[in-house]
Amino acid sequence: MSVSPPLRNLQPTRPFGEHPQEKPKYIIKKKVPQVCARACECDCAYNVVVGVDRITGLERALTIEGRPEDPVSRGKYCIKALGFVDSLYDPDRLLVTLKRTNPKRGLDQDPGFVVVKSNDALKEIIEKLKKYKREEILFNSPGDPYTNRLCRSLGVTRSDQRTECFGTHYYLNSLMVTNPPNKYYSSTYTVTHSLWGYDYSKTKYMLWFGFDSFSKLAKAGILNHIVEGKRNGTKIVVFNPVKTPIADSIASEWYPIKPGTDLAVTLAMINIFLNEKLYKVEFLKNYSDAYALIDIETKLHVVDEKGKWLSWCGTHNKPEPINSCDNPTLEGGSFSFESNGRTIEAKTVFQLLKESVKDYTPDWAAKISEVPAEEIARIAREFAQAAPMVCIPNLKRDAAGPNYANSWRLMHTINIMHALTGSFDHEGGVLFLNGVKIPWLEDVDPPAKPYPPQPKEPVDYRNEFPVSNDIYQNKDYSAPGHYGMVGYGLYNTDKIKVVFFRSPHRGLHALIQPQMVEAALMKMDLVIDWNLYPDDTIYWCDYVLPAPHQYEESKFDIRQYYPKWPCYVGGSPVQQPPGDVIGWGKIAKEIGLALAPEYWTTDGSQDRTKAIKGDMYTPALKAVGINDMNDFMTNKNGIWIDKKPYENYKTIKEIGYGRPEGRIRLYIDEFANVGHDPLPKWSPRWTSSEGEYKFSLLVTRAPWHMHADPNFINNPVLNMLTRKNFIDCIWIHPDAGKELGLQEGAEVVIETNPKYMTDVPRPVKAKVHLSKRVARKDCVLLFHGMGHRSKLLRNGVYGYRDGDLIPQKNPKIVKQHDPTGMGWVEDVYVRIKKA
Amino acid sequence: MASTYSILLDTRFCTGCNTCFYKCVQENRLHDTAAEGHYRTLVLIKDDGLYHRRCMHCKEPSCEAVCPTAALSKTDYGPVLYDAERCIGCKTCVAACPFHVPQWDETRHQVVKCTMCAHRLQDVAGGKTIPACVEVCPTGALIFGEYDELVAMAKQIASENKLHIYGLEENGGTHLIILAKEKPEVIGYPAVPRDTVRSREIKSVSGVVAGAAAVAALAYAGIKKYSERRIQVQNFNRSEE
Repeated sequence: MSVSPPLRNLQPTRPFGEHPQEKPKYIIKKKVPQVCARACECDCAYNVVVGVDRITGLERALTIEGRPEDPVSRGKYCIKALGFVDSLYDPDRLLVTLKRTNPKRGLDQDPGFVVVKSNDALKEIIEKLKKYKREEILFNSPGDPYTNRLCRSLGVTRSDQRTECFGTHYYLNSLMVTNPPNKYYSSTYTVTHSLWGYDYSKTKYMLWFGFDSFSKLAKAGILNHIVEGKRNGTKIVVFNPVKTPIADSIASEWYPIKPGTDLAVTLAMINIFLNEKLYKVEFLKNYSDAYALIDIETKLHVVDEKGKWLSWCGTHNKPEPINSCDNPTLEGGSFSFESNGRTIEAKTVFQLLKESVKDYTPDWAAKISEVPAEEIARIAREFAQAAPMVCIPNLKRDAAGPNYANSWRLMHTINIMHALTGSFDHEGGVLFLNGVKIPWLEDVDPPAKPYPPQPKEPVDYRNEFPVSNDIYQNKDYSAPGHYGMVGYGLYNTDKIKVVFFRSPHRGLHALIQPQMVEAALMKMDLVIDWNLYPDDTIYWCDYVLPAPHQYEESKFDIRQYYPKWPCYVGGSPVQQPPGDVIGWGKIAKEIGLALAPEYWTTDGSQDRTKAIKGDMYTPALKAVGINDMNDFMTNKNGIWIDKKPYENYKTIKEIGYGRPEGRIRLYIDEFANVGHDPLPKWSPRWTSSEGEYKFSLLVTRAPWHMHADPNFINNPVLNMLTRKNFIDCIWIHPDAGKELGLQEGAEVVIETNPKYMTDVPRPVKAKVHLSKRVARKDCVLLFHGMGHRSKLLRNGVYGYRDGDLIPQKNPKIVKQHDPTGMGWVEDVYVRIKKA
Repeated sequence: MASTYSILLDTRFCTGCNTCFYKCVQENRLHDTAAEGHYRTLVLIKDDGLYHRRCMHCKEPSCEAVCPTAALSKTDYGPVLYDAERCIGCKTCVAACPFHVPQWDETRHQVVKCTMCAHRLQDVAGGKTIPACVEVCPTGALIFGEYDELVAMAKQIASENKLHIYGLEENGGTHLIILAKEKPEVIGYPAVPRDTVRSREIKSVSGVVAGAAAVAALAYAGIKKYSERRIQVQNFNRSEE
């Protein structure tokens, strides 16, 4: 045995670059422009860095590099984008089509999957679909262009999970501003059903009603703007029963509001605006229906023979068209006049709004919301004084989303506040998308003949909600579906025999009370999933088709989250899809050409050689002087932007009600028609605290998760981060824990009040994290996305599933509370007990 | 290198998104290590604020002072670096760090801690090579620059906004400076005295003796282990390749 000198390795200090930790771990080979289309709706543009990992010697996508020229991300990106890089190589990715051999469905069954060629499987699926009536088929899918075409050409129901995120906003925005939006908004890669973003970096004052959820903590595309605004002095007031890290410091003020009572605060603020005349008269006069007359008897706008709104002329003492009246009256009345042989009593929208909110004082709101009255009044005044450079951002699962039975009312009040302050379509306020348009498939390849009718009684009960159904059927087929009731319909009826899940990495997890859907799927003839991962859904599926990763696709997108300037960005595939992966466009086309070919050929024939091309990008690019995607990506590096000054109030005229002299509509006739309030009134949430069921359910998700996406849930690095931050626990206030006798880490069972979940309850087991970030003793915070049970996700099975606690809704109940028919995802009280 | 670099963390703009954490993992190819619970930087969402657990890059690092094999070394440009091939795995640095930062990776038999992305700092003057965590921070909460300039900036921001500064004096001063609304120790940062290991040794003759004795003992005890360790590390690196 030889013995080396003991200090042989103690070398003198090395010159720079010689230390092992001064050497890079990889060599960059190329940078591929991409747009982040599935992590969130910011859709940050960035480069995927491809290189050689020095440890493994393999060339692969390694990380992300920012693109400062993108007006949304401005060179930033988030942890989810980084997660997507590694998920390209997730060993559990689905790369082949699976076909069930064991007819018994369910998580406790081995499906006996065998591998079949994707094309062969698709042919088999098509032959099976031919055996069913259109009323018996459900596509569980968002309204992307190809799914829309497919479902409309087949005359089948499409219903999806987008309701959860965007539905309430979408329908209120459609009813108040865009009517309908389709002509103006684009068939972007991720349609967020919104036409505007917020000028976070220029705004002077923001009100956030639950906007600062944990999921927002990593939305780089908006955070970089919010922080710029903060550095420039933006005041941010947050109402949230959870104290997020944003509330710690970026927020100027934070109020732990009682869940589901934000509406009381906004009503009181409108009361202050109106009583103290803190509104922008010129905006109301020129860009809203505030001066329009409402027939007190019919509860509808009074219109002339051309359908134009009328106002009351103070000079001529008679109704005149709102756009030409030289002295319209804002308040007072009622005004009496004859029209078509009938005496009409009418008041202005403004007057009715004033009457509607007259009792909603700050003192009244304080008793409901537990936000001090003097603070409500002060904040309202400050907000109005900063107008029009103010905004109330709402994008997804904030309090104005589909969270409570009164959220549609809250969204209504928020839009009214934007109108009263003149911040709609104004720099520093709400920025309207302008100057860009990616056409829809219907625009570039219009169908040769009208589509067949949709099922009269769809399984998601859309027909029971005439306001949103009218938009869906007649104005925008991509409108959000009723995911809060589709499970109820599948379980309680026998209408559907075939379910086709089209939404990679969502499926069952996207549905509230998935146990009800699982039970319903047991009785289906045929269940198909197009998925990136073998998640829970596949245990109920007959076929599972493999979807591509987002970095294996081309992208073309607008800049909706910061639409200050007209802008397009594009992305190129980082790699070709591996294995037997099949794209959705091909699936839709093949099914369409087989079952409804006349809608999938350019001339309405059945000749496959005349199949539609579906090129939605070239027309958009040509309009800005770019030949095609190849030209765009090669010569423009995938970005086009026109940095012209933002023209305040220009787009309202183009897109609003009564365009080309468009206006914001504060008063919603459609609600009056179905017996709901056309102007916002207070209404409590659906559920209430009862006995042990006293914890109001709050749902958020980790900044590094997107929905229940295994791209992140199945990532062992992110799972470590999840555990370190107690995201796999339920969070309650320490005092609540003390009252329940619970220590940190205690095992508990959470159960929904059975009064509100009458069928198929599934209590949830979890560990408790005691945290003052849950600021109220009457709340419990759950994190969405976990709770996978698929044995084929080797790193993904941990935590609990929040959706198990959220009931699917009986449409008869929903109709009584909400004309939009949304999910009410947090309108739930639960009991917490030691396990 | 002529400059001495530093990182300033203004927690007022940190959201706890942990993009810095994952960027660090990718930049340094630490996926397997991180999956097992070891990391160079990570943000913990605490009740009273955000706790960034990462190397403070002390001016007079305790880890360097106690390391019997000079595996840890303070560079003249700021970062404290670690050389796995010199490390004997005694874990003295893990115990000695007053900030509780170095982590021992049992699988790879290595210390895990931040390098301030030393490999990126060759062209700082060019303006592009900054630490990965700083580059990626969506809110600009992390700022990289010359130590003296960042200290001046930190003092000014703290004064204007009534913030606490962490890192100016702790353990004799560090090259990571943290600004926080709350007292850092309330958030979760360790309460660390001003004195460093070296300064305590200088102050106390007995300390010098004791320190020297301790180092000597460790050195002698580690000689055999050290030789074995080199072979162990070499074998491990070969298997990784």
